[in-house]
Amino acid sequence: MFDLASEIMATLRNNKLRTALTGFAVSWGIFLLIVLLSVSRGLVNGMESMFGQRDTETVSIRGGYAQKAYKGLKENRRVQLRDGDIAVLESQNANVLSEVIAQISNDTAKVTSSKDYLTDGYRGVYPSEVRNSGLDMTKGRFINQNDINQRRRVVVVNEESAKTLFGDKDPVGQLVKISDLSFTVVGTYKQEWRRDVYIPYSTARAMSGGSDKVNNITVKLSGVKTLEESENAEKGFRSTLGRQHTFAEDDNGSLWIWNRFSDYLTTSTAMGAIGMAVWIIGLLTMLSGIVGVSNIMFVSVRERTHEIGVRRAIGAKPRSILRQIILESVAITTLFGYVGIVLGMLVSEGIGMLVAAGGERSPLKDPTVDIAIAIQVTVVLIIAGAFAGLFPAMKSLKIKPVEALRDE
Amino acid sequence: MIISLKDINKSYPGAVPLHVLKDVNLSIDKGELVSIMGASGSGKSTLLNILGILDNYDSGEYYLDGVLIKDLSENKAADLRNYMIGFVFQSFNLINYKNALENVALPLFYRGVSRRQRNKLAMEQLERMGMADRATHLPSELSGGQKQRVAIARALITKPSIILADEPTGALDSKTSKEVMQVFRDLNADGMTIVIVTHDPGVGEQTNRIIRIVDGRIV
Repeated sequence: MFDLASEIMATLRNNKLRTALTGFAVSWGIFLLIVLLSVSRGLVNGMESMFGQRDTETVSIRGGYAQKAYKGLKENRRVQLRDGDIAVLESQNANVLSEVIAQISNDTAKVTSSKDYLTDGYRGVYPSEVRNSGLDMTKGRFINQNDINQRRRVVVVNEESAKTLFGDKDPVGQLVKISDLSFTVVGTYKQEWRRDVYIPYSTARAMSGGSDKVNNITVKLSGVKTLEESENAEKGFRSTLGRQHTFAEDDNGSLWIWNRFSDYLTTSTAMGAIGMAVWIIGLLTMLSGIVGVSNIMFVSVRERTHEIGVRRAIGAKPRSILRQIILESVAITTLFGYVGIVLGMLVSEGIGMLVAAGGERSPLKDPTVDIAIAIQVTVVLIIAGAFAGLFPAMKSLKIKPVEALRDE
Repeated sequence: MIISLKDINKSYPGAVPLHVLKDVNLSIDKGELVSIMGASGSGKSTLLNILGILDNYDSGEYYLDGVLIKDLSENKAADLRNYMIGFVFQSFNLINYKNALENVALPLFYRGVSRRQRNKLAMEQLERMGMADRATHLPSELSGGQKQRVAIARALITKPSIILADEPTGALDSKTSKEVMQVFRDLNADGMTIVIVTHDPGVGEQTNRIIRIVDGRIV
């Protein structure tokens, strides 16, 4: 080990400027790779935290307009989802779903407090809506199963709406009137673009005056893993509802379907592709550094032709020369690569601090490099160094021991 | 007999093949101090390469200490050089970034001897050459005669069957040359077989036998 270290030091000393330039290329390549990896990690973290609040394995369905004439019916028919569809969807697609929930909406109802009123209407929902819509509860609770079972008159509002209705008073426990019925506020949520007022589904049903219209149905998928399975499940829902409402199962306009799971998979794939692209860009950048190392090793072998000949003459086997050249190359690459890793990590930490200071809107989150990536990069460095040393080492094998007798 | 060459032929291929060694027969006994003399281009370097297992020959047989040296793999040749031959070169061929002790120890490194053991044996050889006080000096800090002593110590450390010296005084002044030749004579007195290749008659005179080679033939 000590012998190797002294040989490497000698190689480095013999070509100071060239070593510095080559080392810079390797450090720069690794530096870029680390920074790019940390940024892409930040993007993935950002995406996951975005999806994390929501149920990704859900498919939301709304009625649309059937575009094709079907079984004697004309085109451009309104498709209206109804209560009965819930049970039919659940029984006919049981293998791909775990739960079917629905939402009823009333867009015209006024929500009135003693102080002010809202004109946002209301939505009758199930408890899992809190995750479907990615709501962040700030006070109290969301609608629960008991609310559904007992048709309680409870309501959840946006915290901004709560300010409108109650001013600075604690909104939880306050009363509001919706369609002349009295409701108790049980919670508030924070959401930048939603102002919806949520009440239990069963309560909303009772308020709809005998109508069985449903605004949308949300299916929670289960046992679905791939994009293909997800698309097939979606087709299954379309054909089930097609039989219910008499439209062609390939009539895409008949239903608005938002398949969050497919979206999630597609986004994940895109993120994976970004990660892959980062590796490719980083490795290609590093390649120029590696070529430099290879070059310096060629020079080193050439300059030491005589020395290698002497070593061969006094008993060095070809493989010990080969090993020495490759290890030198690995050592140079790893040494300068390590400098790049450290600098890259410092910069990613810096980016991380800037992002943290920038608040929640940044698409990045925690752009740091974990130990796994550091290990991966180190392995890459060692392999790259060995690769860089391989060709010079093969060249060194051509040096014959007779070289020792040649005068310098 | 420590060296036995029978009808050795060697030619270098080319547009006009060069027949360098022609039916060379040569015997050297254990404990001899021999010089091989010849003009430039006489084939003495080629003969030295073959004796040193640095090069192959075309036909004939070469026995070194009872071992047939013929068509060896690179690894086998490296081992035989390491165990049987001690080389001394005209330009010393010390490794310039290693100190005297490390240079002397180097052949044992390729035998896989531990560092501590190597350095101990190397120090013994340096002492034998009267160079113990220069052990930590780099070759650039040594005079020509000192360098050659270090090189001889390196040749001796493996306890070889023979020492092959290629113009060992070629780069030295006459006074130092005499000292180095005295070192060889002393080693020979201790029983070491030494073959010196030279074109210097003064060096040849100090050996016990002179083998002259002219146009690839021993005369």
